Amino acid sequence: MEIKKAIITAAGPAQRTLPLQTLVDRDGVTKTALRILIEEVRAAGIEEICVVTCPGDPPAYAAAAGDPGGRLRFIAQPAPRGYGHAVWCAREFAGESPFLLLVGDHLYVSGGRKRAAQQLVEIAGAENCAVSAVQATHESKLPYYGAVGGRRVAGRKGQYEIAEVMEKPTPTEAEQRLIVPGLRAGYYLCFFGMHVLTPAVMSLLSAEVERNAGPNLPLSPALAQLAQRERYLAGELEGRRYDIGVRYGLLTAQLALALAGQDREEVLSGLVELLARREMK
Amino acid sequence: MPDLVQLITAADPARRNQALAAACAGLSAGDLLDQCARLDDFRRRSENLYERVRALFFLYAIHRFHLPERLASAAAPAGRRSLIPFAGYEHLLQRRFEEALDQFLAVQQAEGPSDAISSALAAAYHRLGFQTLADQVRRSVRSVRGNQWMFRMGHPADHPLRLRPELCQPHPGDGTYPILRECTPVRMDLTHCGWSDIFFLGMDYPEGAKVLNVSIDLGVHGRDPAPRPPVEASLRVIEEPLLRLASLDLGAAADITNLAEVFDFAKDYLGLLKAAVIAAGLVPPGIEGSGQSLAELLARLAGRGRGLEIVSRVNNIPKGSRLAVSTTLLAALVSVCMRATGQAASLTGPLQEHERRLVLARALLGEWLGGSGGGWQDSGGVWPGMKLIEGVPAGEGDPEFGVSRGRLMPRHRILAAADAALETRRRLQESLVLVHGGMAQNVGPILEMVTEKYLLRCADEWQARQSMLGILDEILAALRAGDVRRIGAATTRNFQQPIQTIIPWATNYFTESLIQQVRAEFGPAFWGFWMLGGMSGGGMGFIFAPEQKARAQTHLQELMSAGKRALQHALPFAMEPVVYDFAINERGTEAVLLEGAAALMPPAYYTLLGPALLRQERHTLTPARRAEWDQFGAACRARPEWRGVAQTLFEIMLPRGQPEAAAGQSLAALLEQHGFDRLQHEQIRADLKEGRIGLAQNRLPASAVIEDAPAAEVADLSAPGPAAARWAERGRAALRNGELAVVTLAAGAGSRWTQGAGVVKALHPFCRLAGRHRTFIETHLAKSRRAARQAGCALPHLITTSYLTHAPIAEFLARQHHYGYEGPLHLSPGRAVGLRLVPTVRDLRFMWEEMPQQLLDEQQQKVRDSLRQALIHWAAAAGEASDYTDNLPLQCLHPVGHWYEVPNLLRNGVLARLLAERPGLQYLLLHNIDTLGADADPALLGWHIDHGACLTFEVIPRRLEDRGGGLARVNGQLRLVEGLALPREEAEFALTYYNSNTCWIHLDKLLAVFRLTRADLADAPRVAAAIRSLAARMPTYITLKEVKKRWGHGQEDIFPVTQFEKLWVDLTALPEVDARFVAVPRLRGQQLKDPAQLDGWLRDGSAAYVERLCDYPA
Repeated sequence: MEIKKAIITAAGPAQRTLPLQTLVDRDGVTKTALRILIEEVRAAGIEEICVVTCPGDPPAYAAAAGDPGGRLRFIAQPAPRGYGHAVWCAREFAGESPFLLLVGDHLYVSGGRKRAAQQLVEIAGAENCAVSAVQATHESKLPYYGAVGGRRVAGRKGQYEIAEVMEKPTPTEAEQRLIVPGLRAGYYLCFFGMHVLTPAVMSLLSAEVERNAGPNLPLSPALAQLAQRERYLAGELEGRRYDIGVRYGLLTAQLALALAGQDREEVLSGLVELLARREMK
Repeated sequence: MPDLVQLITAADPARRNQALAAACAGLSAGDLLDQCARLDDFRRRSENLYERVRALFFLYAIHRFHLPERLASAAAPAGRRSLIPFAGYEHLLQRRFEEALDQFLAVQQAEGPSDAISSALAAAYHRLGFQTLADQVRRSVRSVRGNQWMFRMGHPADHPLRLRPELCQPHPGDGTYPILRECTPVRMDLTHCGWSDIFFLGMDYPEGAKVLNVSIDLGVHGRDPAPRPPVEASLRVIEEPLLRLASLDLGAAADITNLAEVFDFAKDYLGLLKAAVIAAGLVPPGIEGSGQSLAELLARLAGRGRGLEIVSRVNNIPKGSRLAVSTTLLAALVSVCMRATGQAASLTGPLQEHERRLVLARALLGEWLGGSGGGWQDSGGVWPGMKLIEGVPAGEGDPEFGVSRGRLMPRHRILAAADAALETRRRLQESLVLVHGGMAQNVGPILEMVTEKYLLRCADEWQARQSMLGILDEILAALRAGDVRRIGAATTRNFQQPIQTIIPWATNYFTESLIQQVRAEFGPAFWGFWMLGGMSGGGMGFIFAPEQKARAQTHLQELMSAGKRALQHALPFAMEPVVYDFAINERGTEAVLLEGAAALMPPAYYTLLGPALLRQERHTLTPARRAEWDQFGAACRARPEWRGVAQTLFEIMLPRGQPEAAAGQSLAALLEQHGFDRLQHEQIRADLKEGRIGLAQNRLPASAVIEDAPAAEVADLSAPGPAAARWAERGRAALRNGELAVVTLAAGAGSRWTQGAGVVKALHPFCRLAGRHRTFIETHLAKSRRAARQAGCALPHLITTSYLTHAPIAEFLARQHHYGYEGPLHLSPGRAVGLRLVPTVRDLRFMWEEMPQQLLDEQQQKVRDSLRQALIHWAAAAGEASDYTDNLPLQCLHPVGHWYEVPNLLRNGVLARLLAERPGLQYLLLHNIDTLGADADPALLGWHIDHGACLTFEVIPRRLEDRGGGLARVNGQLRLVEGLALPREEAEFALTYYNSNTCWIHLDKLLAVFRLTRADLADAPRVAAAIRSLAARMPTYITLKEVKKRWGHGQEDIFPVTQFEKLWVDLTALPEVDARFVAVPRLRGQQLKDPAQLDGWLRDGSAAYVERLCDYPA
């Protein structure tokens, strides 16, 4: 399976300005968050990118994206009807191809040689199926994420066959349905904000949109159905995700980027000086 | 010789289910000790929980039932003098069972087996067995998936639950928050499952754990317009960062602002609500003791500055209904909390099956947290209609797998129309009359007995258990066939045969009389009796031909009320009996979301919390509160079901005066009538306040030298000796000559028997003997009858009474025609009464903190500590050493100790009259009401006459449970000493003999101690002065006793109260009293203090021994 398309969702009313924030990337260059994300996608060998935005946002986003080269499209979500609906808005863009899906308010810092998106795309390519990036997450964070349950794939480190998908489960449900052997007690595989999905997801979302005219159409139910229909994996990637939408999220993401990049020494000494001065007061 | 270990490990069920008693039958004491050594070694090695537990119960049973009998008949005098090591006892109290066992076994090894050590070993093995089982249930409850995370969460920042958004949005129109209300039916057990829903049983014998459980709506006949789900739990957001809990039935509400208080279960009447809040994960158990902020936790859950209000209501269904009202309420509260936090996906409507199971798991957790213990069928009301609940063998993947044979959680199969047609259900409703007989009893000991008998595979009980499974199948078949009459026949047979074979105490005199009267009245139209659960006397069912139901409801109410009136002094009734209306609920638990104008709590909420709110300035109320009051007003004006609520509120805010005064006068009148000594009372109060008297001051000086009685100074009459025949002949002659009268002490309140319920123990029909329930008095008279017949004389029998017992005993005896007693039978009314006092904090602390206490299982101990703290606060707030008057007048008085009961015979003229009739009377046999083995034994009487003592006291070798002093040499003088007078707790453990309080009296010598003669008895002032003079030389003890206060609908609170008493045995300390001591067989001298002893008493030969002594009228 070859992944040539990527969708970045940035249409949530609370997150529309987040991709426009500027940070200093690992290479020392000041970029917008959107541009950093686009570079993440391109590093995975994907050139066709679609950003789902609120109506009216594309000009600002186009400016924020700079000149990434390749093909960049913007699609507006007419009304804020949830994550699943935002993805569904890009159904024509995706067509019958598998696609990489990212959220506009997360940044990823890889712990290894390969970037997170590249790792994910490679797994999907090799396993020829949908794959969601996951991270073992403490149960106290369950109210913020979708989570999956399943079992390890024999001989594949960090890969899991997904049996269940739940959106923001309570720990009570998680304990009953999402326990994955091998994880520490109280930890669950929560979504990393990055997926490679198959066209089947778009059909499932279409059916859901038809059925549900409500204000919130999440993605997780469609993914739960996907797990029942076809092989669907979860992959633990080398790297961390940073939610720039939470309090101090942007600062944390910036520090993570800086500490993983060429200005590491400079930032570290700045931090030490800051701490030392604070101690001396 | 059989190998008892093999009985446990055998693969063949026939061998594994063999009764222990049968296997022990042919074994000698030596064989049994050998088997004990093997079993003990086995249970220490075995890794299988149930093998260990069964070995522990085998060991218990051998030491409790099989060895003592053999040791008594074996000639092992040295062993019989063994003492129980105090260090072992301390280990036992602290639940260090293994250490206790090692201590006791070491003594057995060193000194040989003995009755005393066997009693200690039996207690230790028994408690370790139950502890092991309780630990396993606790582990299972915690390890159920869905429950585990709550034990990991220790900080508000980690709280993973959020309130559902629907509940956090105030109504756009009026600003009120929506109310989520859960309505839950209760459950009834259509088969009586033989208590097979006890966790221990279901987890070891899942195949035998089966219950036919029906969800029902309920109403009180004549009070409620129609049956409805009786249990309601409501939840809503409030704009204050606190947890507001309210129990409308108990009239209790509290604003909880710190976490520690949430875990303080017994502080108030809100323990069940607190347990539910914890078990539902709102305040997860893992956060207990974290020192974190409740407001922070609630902010995480519901938003900053917000809190939660949770309100419960059970529609005033009385306690003890045997319909699992408490557990159902817990389940309803858990359910509403879980819906509110998204742990159950269904916000409203019924629950799905997996959600119901989760509610069950959490309710089990809540039961454990609250220190109570319902069975696993008790949340059955959460499920709809009729269902078969069954134990499930543990399989791979279950946390119980490899540990116990069965799972903690049973399986529920809802019966379909093919199993029980709608028409059948309707007919069942038309035939069944559900009632509450008014008795509320503690079923805890019953559940222990059932477990024990199951583990021992007692032959009859095991057979009964098997037959119950057959009866269940029969009831299922009758349901399929729609044959209600057959159901009635099956439930009656179930009650009369297997249930009572397993637990004879499941029935009682009240129930038996009711059944008999109903049968007589309704004849063939009475189709059967149906035992609802635990014990009878509370919730019960009677099945009638449908056309008779209405008449039966009326008639049963009359019968029960009359029965209660007749027996209210004999049996512990908690309330007036009621008849219920009921209907099968086919929906199970359901929730609704009340919004806007409908968002009102139940009416009783406003009468409970309204007065305080109405006293506040309106502008100080939150907008939501103001809007709610407006809605409340509108509802009172417009909604018919709210009519009268405003009037009730008005009555509460402006109560009418005076009715309380009547009770006050009544108490004063009683005090006056019973010779209350106000001066003495005030002196006692002053002394208590000043600390001159109190529990600590009861003790002899620390310098007192307490030694065991030398063997030579105690005549061993426990087995017939060479002179026995001579003494017996001498005794028979005295009987024939009319020299003896029997005196039964029946003035006491029997606090331990009913935990201070204030009923007359003497009249309690406590056990079936010779085919019928017999009261204590009837049994004592039957012994006197036999003694009199054998001696060919008329034996006078005196019964001492008090303010509490006189009228009921007199009336009861008259009604029973003196039980046909042929000899003279006189009551000796009391002449003294005390007024109970609120205890001092000092004495409460002394009792609970200084005296050795039995530590309870972890969670129960927490609850007990919390309760004790609450009681200490109560004592301080009510006024230490102030008069205890906040109860029924009779419950505020107390008898002043049995020392006075013999002097009363002198004062009230009863003895003088008897002597006038029978001048040859020379001796009295005095015994406690609960010393059932004491009789006018000619040999003992002969011994007493032969030795010419003033008093001869009977003592018995001490067992572990015999607490309260004994025979000792105190500073060189041999005497009986009360436990509360011993300077050190361990001193009691150095005393071989325990006092039975049975005493043979030489009348003239006793009169001489009072400096009286027979002739003086006519001189009342002289007698009174003599008694006063001797009483002054007797020590006065301060004691704390339990007293029950009844309120609401079958609710009971138990308070400790201070009273004083003087005790008969202290006469042995007087130098001029020639007191002798004889050791008698245990079966003769033991006392029956607690109903929990009854089962052992029946099984260890005690009951048979007493039956042999009795001659009941035909």
